[in-house]
Amino acid sequence: MRSGIAAALLIGLLGAQEATRSVWDGVYTEDQADRGRGLYNQHCASCHADTLTGGEMSPPLAGGEFLSNWNGLTLGELFERIRTTMPQNKAGKLSREVNADITAYILSVNKFPSGKTDLPHSTEFLKEIRIESEKK
Amino acid sequence: MFRMTRAFAGTVAMALCAFAQTGNKNGEWPSYAADLAGTRYRPLDQINATNFSKLEVAWRFKTDSIGNRPEYKLEGTPLMVHGVVYATAGSRRAAIALDAATGELLWVHGEHEGERGAAAPRQLSGRGLAYWTDGKQERILYVTPGYRLICLDAKTGQPVPSFGTNGAVDLKLDDDQRILPDVTTGEIGLQSAPVVAKDTIIIGAAFREGMTPKSMRNNKGYVRGFDVKTGKCLWIFHTIPTKNEPGYNTWLKESAEYTGNTGVWTQITVDEQLGLVYLPVESPTGDYYGGHRQGNNLYGESLVCVDLKTGQMKWYYQLVHHPLWDMDISSAPILADINVNGRAVKAVAQPSKQGFLYVFDRVTGKPVWPIEERAVEQGSVPGEWYSPTQPFPTKPPAYSRNGVMTDDLIDFTPAMRDTALAIVAKYHIGPVFTPPVESKIDGPLATLTLGTASGGTNWPGASYDPETHIVYAYACNACLTPIGLVRPPKSLSDMDFVAGTAGQEVRNRTGPGEGAGADSPLPSRAPAVGRGGAAPTAGSGLTVQGLPLIKPPYGTISAISLDKGEIVWQIPHGDTPDAIRNNSALKGINLPRTGQTGYNVGTLITRSLVIAGEGQRTTTPEHPPGALLRAYDKATGKDAGAVFMPAPVSGSPMTYMVNGKQYIIVAVSGGNYSGEYIAFTLPAAEEHGQTAQ
Repeated sequence: MRSGIAAALLIGLLGAQEATRSVWDGVYTEDQADRGRGLYNQHCASCHADTLTGGEMSPPLAGGEFLSNWNGLTLGELFERIRTTMPQNKAGKLSREVNADITAYILSVNKFPSGKTDLPHSTEFLKEIRIESEKK
Repeated sequence: MFRMTRAFAGTVAMALCAFAQTGNKNGEWPSYAADLAGTRYRPLDQINATNFSKLEVAWRFKTDSIGNRPEYKLEGTPLMVHGVVYATAGSRRAAIALDAATGELLWVHGEHEGERGAAAPRQLSGRGLAYWTDGKQERILYVTPGYRLICLDAKTGQPVPSFGTNGAVDLKLDDDQRILPDVTTGEIGLQSAPVVAKDTIIIGAAFREGMTPKSMRNNKGYVRGFDVKTGKCLWIFHTIPTKNEPGYNTWLKESAEYTGNTGVWTQITVDEQLGLVYLPVESPTGDYYGGHRQGNNLYGESLVCVDLKTGQMKWYYQLVHHPLWDMDISSAPILADINVNGRAVKAVAQPSKQGFLYVFDRVTGKPVWPIEERAVEQGSVPGEWYSPTQPFPTKPPAYSRNGVMTDDLIDFTPAMRDTALAIVAKYHIGPVFTPPVESKIDGPLATLTLGTASGGTNWPGASYDPETHIVYAYACNACLTPIGLVRPPKSLSDMDFVAGTAGQEVRNRTGPGEGAGADSPLPSRAPAVGRGGAAPTAGSGLTVQGLPLIKPPYGTISAISLDKGEIVWQIPHGDTPDAIRNNSALKGINLPRTGQTGYNVGTLITRSLVIAGEGQRTTTPEHPPGALLRAYDKATGKDAGAVFMPAPVSGSPMTYMVNGKQYIIVAVSGGNYSGEYIAFTLPAAEEHGQTAQ
C-alpha cells in the first residue's frame, strides 16, 4: 500500500516536471497547418488579422511579442486559452480538433518546423510540449 | 433587464466593521485616478526604495466567478475608502467590495442584462467605479456594459431605490437623440469609471472599434451630468454640435447630422474649486477615413472645458483637425498648479497617443507654451478631405515617437537595417500626421504609423506630482500600426473606405471584449471544419529576423517638468522581451534593457517612487514566466526595486494605507492567466509604523 502511494507520488512528480518536448521538435504536420489556415481565417482573423500580427487592440499571435509572452509556457496552456475563450463572441464553440488545427497553423506561421504527426488535441499531451522562442 | 440583481446582504455586518478602519484622506484612493485632478499620486512612503523588492502578496482576488466565464482583460483600478476596496470585476462587470486589509469579499452586485448586454460595444469588467458621500450616505456608481448607470449603497451593495428607477438610470434614454436602431441593440456604452464632483455625476460614451465602421452613420457620444441624489439628468453637452450651435459649420455638407461616435470614453477630470470639467473627446465615425465628414469636425479629438453645473462650454482646443489617425484623446487630463517663468498658472496637461503633452491655462484654454499650426502632408485617398495644418506644441518636446522615419528602424547590424529599409519601401512613412493611403498591391500597402491607434499614451494615462510639478508618463515607443484603406463591399459597410490591406479579404475588425461579456451567449459546442482561405502572408512581415522593425526603446517612462516644459529623464520600461534577448541573430551584441511594447501600462506616484508594472511576460534566470512590478526613484528614474507577478499588468496600480500598513493593488491578466487583483504589502518585519503623510 505504502509503495503504491509512493509510486503514485513519483508519477505525479514526473508529470509535474518540465515538458519533455518543445515546439522545435516537429509537433504538427503541414497538412494540419493547412487545415488550420482556413479555420483561422474563418474564426480568428477579424481580431488578430490575416497576418496574425494582431489588431489595434488585439494581441498578435505571431512574432516577437507573441513568442515572448508565451515563452516558457506549454502548448497545453496556449491551447486551453484558445479552446475556452475563443473566438470571443462564441467562446467554446470550436471542437478540440479544430482548435488543434488552428494551433498548428499558429506554429507554422511562427516558423516552427512541421513533423510527421498531427498536434494532439488532448490538453494533457499538449502540456508536454514547451513553447520556446529560440531553439536550444 | 432587471430580472437579477444580486447583493449578499449577509455580509453587511462585515462591511460595517470594515468602515471602522478609517484612514486619513491621503491614505485613501477615493476616485479612479486617486483624485478628480487625475494625478494618480499619493504621498505615502512606507513602501520605498529600501524595501520595495521585499513586498509580499497580502491577498489576491481572482475574478473568474464574477460572471459565467473567466476574463483575461481585467483593466480596473480599485478605490479604497474607509478600509473598503471597491472595484469592478469579471465578465459580468459586477461591483465588488473587499476588506482592504484582508481581501475578504464583503458584497458583490451584478446586473444581468440579457440581449442588451450581449449587444454592448464595450463588455467585460470595465475600468472602475465612483464613490460619493455627503458625510452621511455613501454611494457607489458604475456603468453596466448595457449602458445603465447603477447607484449602490456603499455599505450594503444594495441599489438605492430613490436613485433613478430602483437604483438605475437608463443611459440610452433622455440623450437628445434616439439611440438607433433600438434601445436594446443600439450601439453605445462605456467602459470607464464615472466621475462625481459636487453632487454631479458625469458620464461619457463609447462605441465599437472604429477601423471598419458598418456605416458612416452612428449614434453620438454626448456627455451628460446627473444629480447624484436622484439620478436626474442635469445637462447634456453635444460633442457634435447641433444645427444652431457653434462648430456645426465645421462639418461640411451637414455631415454633423449623421456622423456619430465622438464620445468621451476615457476618464474625465474636474476642478471642483473652479467648477470646471475637462472632457477628452475621441474621434468621429471612421477612425481612418473622413470623406463622409469633411471639415475640421469639432469637437472631435478636442479637449473641451464645460461648466460643472450647467454643461455650458467654456473653451475648447482641437488637438487634431479632421481626425484620420485614431489619436482620440485617450486619457484623463491632469490638473497642475505650476510656475512658468515666475508666473503661477492653473494648468491642465493632456497626455496623448501622439506623444505630445499639451499644456493649457485651464481657466482660459490658452496654451502655456505656443502651439503652432504647421503645414502637413496632404493625402490622395479619393473623397478624403485634409486639414492643411495641424497643431504642434513647441514645449514640451514629444516624449515618444509619433511618426516613422528611417532613423527609427532597427540598426543592430547594417544588414538588419538594409532589410528594414527594404520592408518599409512597400509602405508610406513620414512624421506625425502623415496621412493614411489607399492600400495597393504594388505599394504602398499602408502608411506605417507610430503614436496612433495604440499610442503613445493610451487609456492608463499619466501621473502628476503636485510637489515637484512633474508629469510621469508611460508611452509605447514602437507600437507600429499600418494604416491602409480599401473599398469595402456594400454588405460590410456603406463607407467609401475602411481599414484594410490590398490583396486581403476586407473584414469587419472587432476589438477585445466584444461579444465576450457574461451576457453574451455561451453556445453549445459544435465542431466546425474548414480548409483553405487566403494564403498565409508573412506573419512576421514587419519584423527583421524575428525582431521588431523599430529599434528600442520599445516602451518608456518619461518625467516631464511642467514648470520648464522639458523632459527631465526618460527610461526604457520593462525587461527585454524573451524573443529579443534570446534571439540568435543578436548573439555577441550587448543589448541594454529595451523596454516593452504595450498600451496598458499605467504609473503610480508615491512620495519617492514611480511604480509601474510590465505589460509583457518574460522568463529569465531570475524568475519563472511572469512580469515585474517595478519601482523607480522619481527624481532620477533609477531602478528602486521590483517584485514578481504571475502575469503582466492589465490595469493601473493604486495605493492606500489601512491599519498602519501601505498596500499597492494592481490588476493582472493576459495570456493563460485570467483576471486577478493582487494586493502587495511589506512583511511585518519591514513595517516602519509610518502612517499617511
